[in-house]
Amino acid sequence: MAEIDTSGGGGHKDGKVRAKKMSTKVDLTPMVDLAFLLITFFMLTTTLNKPSAMELNMPKKEDIDEKDKPEVMECQVLNVLLDTLDNVWYYEGLKVADLQKTTFAGDAGIRKQILRTKKRVSKECGISPKTNKERPMICLIKLLPGSRYKNMVDILDEMDIAQVPVYAIQDFSPIEKEAVDNGGNVKTFAKE
Amino acid sequence: MPKINVARKSTSVDMTAMCDVSFLLLTFFILTSKFKPADPVMIDIPSARSMTKIEKAIVISLSKDGKAYLAFADQEMRRETLQKMVERVGERFPDLKGITPEQTKQFGFIEVFGTPLEDLPRVLKLNGGDYKTYQDKLPGIPTDSVHNQLADWIWAARYANPKMKIAIKGDKSTNIKDVQRVIEILTKDADVHRFNLITTLGGGATTEEKKEE
Repeated sequence: MAEIDTSGGGGHKDGKVRAKKMSTKVDLTPMVDLAFLLITFFMLTTTLNKPSAMELNMPKKEDIDEKDKPEVMECQVLNVLLDTLDNVWYYEGLKVADLQKTTFAGDAGIRKQILRTKKRVSKECGISPKTNKERPMICLIKLLPGSRYKNMVDILDEMDIAQVPVYAIQDFSPIEKEAVDNGGNVKTFAKE
Repeated sequence: MPKINVARKSTSVDMTAMCDVSFLLLTFFILTSKFKPADPVMIDIPSARSMTKIEKAIVISLSKDGKAYLAFADQEMRRETLQKMVERVGERFPDLKGITPEQTKQFGFIEVFGTPLEDLPRVLKLNGGDYKTYQDKLPGIPTDSVHNQLADWIWAARYANPKMKIAIKGDKSTNIKDVQRVIEILTKDADVHRFNLITTLGGGATTEEKKEE
């Protein structure tokens, strides 16, 4: 069965054993195919792009000394409210009656108002005696229950885009809630 | 007329160079790749223009219906967190004390988890196939004020690795109340005042709405 071939390397006349000359070239095409297949697989499964993130700092709700509390003037404040239908509502200062509706749409939306208020604050609100600096604009963000998380991220993004120096997420007041529910009209509460 | 003899050239191309390049790329992708952790639920991340990259973090995922899940970056940390957790709440959940080192090791392999503590020993006993089916409908970590287990987990995770950042990964349509609840847990109960909101670049609201205009 298993015989060893002892006949020599073919019938050469001079009797020398000569190996057949084989080409040293190997066809690499299948190997390339395989490599590309694996590359595709790894490219598709890999998480090359790490998620980006937005930093959010929340204040400690502990007792702050009266003198450390930042002084806020009505003139500095822009209130932004986000409702369940992805609308944005805003009013300046304490004038809830002036509630206006807008959207997140690019330059025409809330961004326009933020920039407008920012300009007005730096013009009109003067210099704070405490810090000896211009009073910054303050944006108070109020998220009504049922609003979507997307809106929160969007408004924080607007804060970043418009570079609002001070902003905070706050609880809404019942007046504001009712005003938004009534489509911007303050009915029961006397205009302040 | 003289005949023009076009020299016959071989059609086979030398593949060696191509092979070199493809294997170089392959090596690169193998070394840099990290498999996506299988999310128990689809989370549609909101977009923002922030470019800050976040690499390793304790990620609190919030699904559309407000269920909370936790994910830690590395295995070692998961195991340590579990040990700390057993030390902390072992009194309240005596079952947890029965967790064997084997099961702790098993816990290290779970990338995203959302199991109430009272269920944990049972879940860790599940074998591969059963766990897979269980994972498809994770119940989530309780966040209500009576069973505020999320706060305990965060506490334990911070104990295991104090430097780790904390990130919230919410769905676009998660109710804001659920997000605020988590933020409240972080600030009040876990004493974390700086955290991250995971967002994605582009394709977002601003560009979408601009098209509409």
